Amino acid sequence: MAAQYRGTKTRGPDPAVTPPQAGAALVAGSAKPSRPARPSTTGRASRFLPYLLLLPTLVATAVLLGYPLVRNLLISFQTLEPFQLIQHTTEWNGFGNYADQLTSSDFWHTAGRSVAFTAANVVLIMVAGTLIGLLLKRLGKRMRLLLSIGLVFAWAMPQVAGTTVYQWLFDTRNGVVNWALDGVGWHAMHNYNWLGHQLSTFAVITLMVVWGSIPFVALNLFAGLTTVSAEIFEAARMDGASAWRTFWQVVFPMLKPFFLSTTFLEVIWVFKAFTQVYALNAGGPEGLTETLPVYAYVEGFGNQHFGTGAAISMLTIVILMALMSYYFRVILKQEDEL
Amino acid sequence: MKRKLIGAIGVAGMMIGVAACGGSGGSGGSKASGGDAGNTITVWLMSGSNPPNWTKQITAAYEKKYPGKKVKIAVQQWDGIQQKLTTALSESTPPDVIEVGNTQTPYYAATGGLKDLSKDKAALGGADWLPAMAKSSVYDGKQIAVPWYAASRVVVYNKKIWADAGIKSTPKTQDELFTDLGKIQAKGTKDALYLPGRDWYAFDGMLLDAGADLVKKDGDTYKGNLDTPQAAQAMALYKKLNSYGTAPKDKDEATPQQSDVFAKGDVGAFIGLGWEAAGAISKNPKLKDQVGFFALPGKTADKTAAVFLGGSNLAISQGTKNPKGAMNFLKMAMSDKFEGALAKEGGIVPNKASLNSNLAGNAFGTVSAAAAANGGTTPLIPEWGNVENAPNPITTLYMTGVLQGQSPSAAAKKADAEMDKRLSQK
Amino acid sequence: MRRSLAGRLWPNIIAVVLFVFFIFPVYWMVTTAFKPDLDIVSSTPVLFPTHWTFTHFVKAVHADGFWTFVGNSFFVTIGAVVLSLIVATLSSFAVARMRFKGRKAFILMIMMAQMAPWEVLTISVYLIVRDSNALNSLLPLTLFYMMMVLPFTIWTLRGFIAAVPKELEEAALVDGCTRFQSFVRIVLPLLAPGLMATSLFGYITAWNEYALVLILNKDSGQTLTLWLTQFQTNFGDDWGATMAAASFFTLPVVVVFLFLQRRAGGGLLSGAVKG
Repeated sequence: MAAQYRGTKTRGPDPAVTPPQAGAALVAGSAKPSRPARPSTTGRASRFLPYLLLLPTLVATAVLLGYPLVRNLLISFQTLEPFQLIQHTTEWNGFGNYADQLTSSDFWHTAGRSVAFTAANVVLIMVAGTLIGLLLKRLGKRMRLLLSIGLVFAWAMPQVAGTTVYQWLFDTRNGVVNWALDGVGWHAMHNYNWLGHQLSTFAVITLMVVWGSIPFVALNLFAGLTTVSAEIFEAARMDGASAWRTFWQVVFPMLKPFFLSTTFLEVIWVFKAFTQVYALNAGGPEGLTETLPVYAYVEGFGNQHFGTGAAISMLTIVILMALMSYYFRVILKQEDEL
Repeated sequence: MKRKLIGAIGVAGMMIGVAACGGSGGSGGSKASGGDAGNTITVWLMSGSNPPNWTKQITAAYEKKYPGKKVKIAVQQWDGIQQKLTTALSESTPPDVIEVGNTQTPYYAATGGLKDLSKDKAALGGADWLPAMAKSSVYDGKQIAVPWYAASRVVVYNKKIWADAGIKSTPKTQDELFTDLGKIQAKGTKDALYLPGRDWYAFDGMLLDAGADLVKKDGDTYKGNLDTPQAAQAMALYKKLNSYGTAPKDKDEATPQQSDVFAKGDVGAFIGLGWEAAGAISKNPKLKDQVGFFALPGKTADKTAAVFLGGSNLAISQGTKNPKGAMNFLKMAMSDKFEGALAKEGGIVPNKASLNSNLAGNAFGTVSAAAAANGGTTPLIPEWGNVENAPNPITTLYMTGVLQGQSPSAAAKKADAEMDKRLSQK
Repeated sequence: MRRSLAGRLWPNIIAVVLFVFFIFPVYWMVTTAFKPDLDIVSSTPVLFPTHWTFTHFVKAVHADGFWTFVGNSFFVTIGAVVLSLIVATLSSFAVARMRFKGRKAFILMIMMAQMAPWEVLTISVYLIVRDSNALNSLLPLTLFYMMMVLPFTIWTLRGFIAAVPKELEEAALVDGCTRFQSFVRIVLPLLAPGLMATSLFGYITAWNEYALVLILNKDSGQTLTLWLTQFQTNFGDDWGATMAAASFFTLPVVVVFLFLQRRAGGGLLSGAVKG
């Protein structure tokens, strides 16, 4: 048993080795779960056992996720406005909602904006998160604890509360950010209205998203790094490898599953970010910071074109799937190798 | 191999989904819709339309007159009300009696969510309603709601700040108003007038005053019509008034509540309603003897400016589980007794001229009722509700746009485009 | 080989700057909540408050329905997390330990479910819940929140279960335990830290959820998330009270976070392997 334990250790990040974060375990575990054992008995019961164990999940997914998806798909082919909603009538309109959206410049602008927003945020999160994770490894014990505390607080801050706090930080009249910028000599920022412009609103949203997401990446990377044995770093240093080369030739390949899975999750989380965008400024000014989920919500619930909203949401799902297809391929391939 | 697999699970998922679909649909209808639906009626009133004493009295009177029955008055916020009300009307136990803004009434009427009250019109006092108010409660020839009250916005001002600036009497013309606001600012009051950039109904008054038509008919549909000299003139006035304070250019009068801002005691004036003034006083009792009212002056002293005749109708939801109780409540609210009490306490313009005497002694009510003589509304077409759906293009695109430096024409084109889109939706 | 003084100093300086960057919004939230109004709106922000007041917290607690919403939030959050842990443990065990036909399809389904865009499914979810007469109730919220965190929970637990050496289990089987007994007696205790770590994500997600509760529940069925976002509308620009409300909202998450963090961090497997 002890041998088994040590065996896992050398395999790189594995949940067996003190994962301080749920995420580290997720990432590591998903990458290399140990080989599933063959059923020890071949009885009828045990042949059905796995399916029995999966049953609750399958039922829940079908009822709570599958059904809403199907229903959403059906609605997207309907004219569903307040009249139909209140009268409980069904009016099919074929591909009308889709045709409207696919020919609307609003939709394509929003889609492009969503993709750009996701790309910018994920790159920022991954790069900064990785750098901070590496920094954590390099720091002394006390400084590491200090920085970890800061990271944990930012991580634990609920998004809705975070949004409220950022609204206050960036408040036009009494916000501390405007005061500080004015104080260091940028006087144009005195009473600056951050939420009045597209780019500055995006700047606030991005800061908020990146601030809240970096801790996940940084702390999990650090957890992964602690499993890379010191000898490897030592060996790399002996060879005279630069920090840059050590990272790309030693750290990155070993933690590749971590980077893959984390990027996968971050793309999903950022692309779907609704709370931060909607609660901050409801997609304003002039709808210029609407991302796809917010656009679907504003058109569907806000403007009460429920059918249109459903069509936008189906298109959103398609776009997200397209963005994710690469990861599906990579991760399924890993499963194949088992 | 992989592809086959994905296909298989997709099909399996779909089948389970469809099966679940049937099951859940069946169980849906069987559930009882609230045990006490027969005895309790739910009344949705808007924030600001529920003077505390009136609310207490009518609840007590109803529960006394109909023993065993209950009234639940739920106060709603204007913000997002259209979404909330539409969904509520579609549900199995909608609110029984609903207050509906007069400009939004045609919108709800068109959805079929409101009950036709034509045959009860006489019993509800329909013979004596003020025609200007009753207009918005009729849709397609049917009495779809009943006119409840009207109110016009006036200038609420802080007498002390005005006196400190050496102003002896309230302004009679626009120019006098500008001079007075200038004097107050010169005295060091940052907000001589607090007028946030998206106070839609204050702006609608100015549009009416300038003679701007918000929509024009183009064949079968309506089109936005903001790119006109009249609208630009109204906007220029709004912009000038906005400049007498530091109110945000991209917020409406409810975020923050302008009465809260006024309650701090360092604001010269705002354009608002009686309940807002009362709210400010309850927040800061020191203001009690300092609050005064005057109608927004016109260009010349002989006439005050046109105002938006805001107001509300009461309606019964089509899906009410208790039509009788709802009608009983409606009759009580429309009785001279409670209509009069509402006018008295809330300082609003009652639905019958004969009840105007209730306004005596109410400073806001008197000024407001006088200003209402020159009142108008937004276009009374069902599609108009689409336009006022958040985000309202007139406030977000036009007003904020111009206040932030766009030319009126450029901002109007953007707003018109969005209005065209919304007006074409049925 | 020794690094220069500057070389040793700069990581520490960066660490301090980053610490301030990450902690400041939290610090600002808490201190604003304790500051008297005059200090909040002063033209020079008071960075280190000297006067403290509890009035904002009192105001937040006395806001309409606060305790109801607290109860609702705890109910749906704990309900969703506990349900998802039970359901997920079963499935993760199957996926991590057994080999069967359709295993990969199941994993694929979990990955897809993980990316389900709940925020855009609001319309159909609303109609489904409306048509089942279940609006304003906590049950649908709990179930949907359970579903939101389920894929991540399965995904993560799978890793934890795989890490429990199967020799331990086999030994138990040899000793005459049934498969179920060996799971309960051997795997489950070892899994406890994993379950805690995993539940962290569930707590945060369910506690935070905004889009669904926004359309499904009103009045007494609301959760603290809605209460907080509406707080601002109802209380105007009263930033002190709003920040007090935000602090209240954040506190349980931080407590759970710090608690579970330590538990989950404690040596997984240490007992079984070393002992």
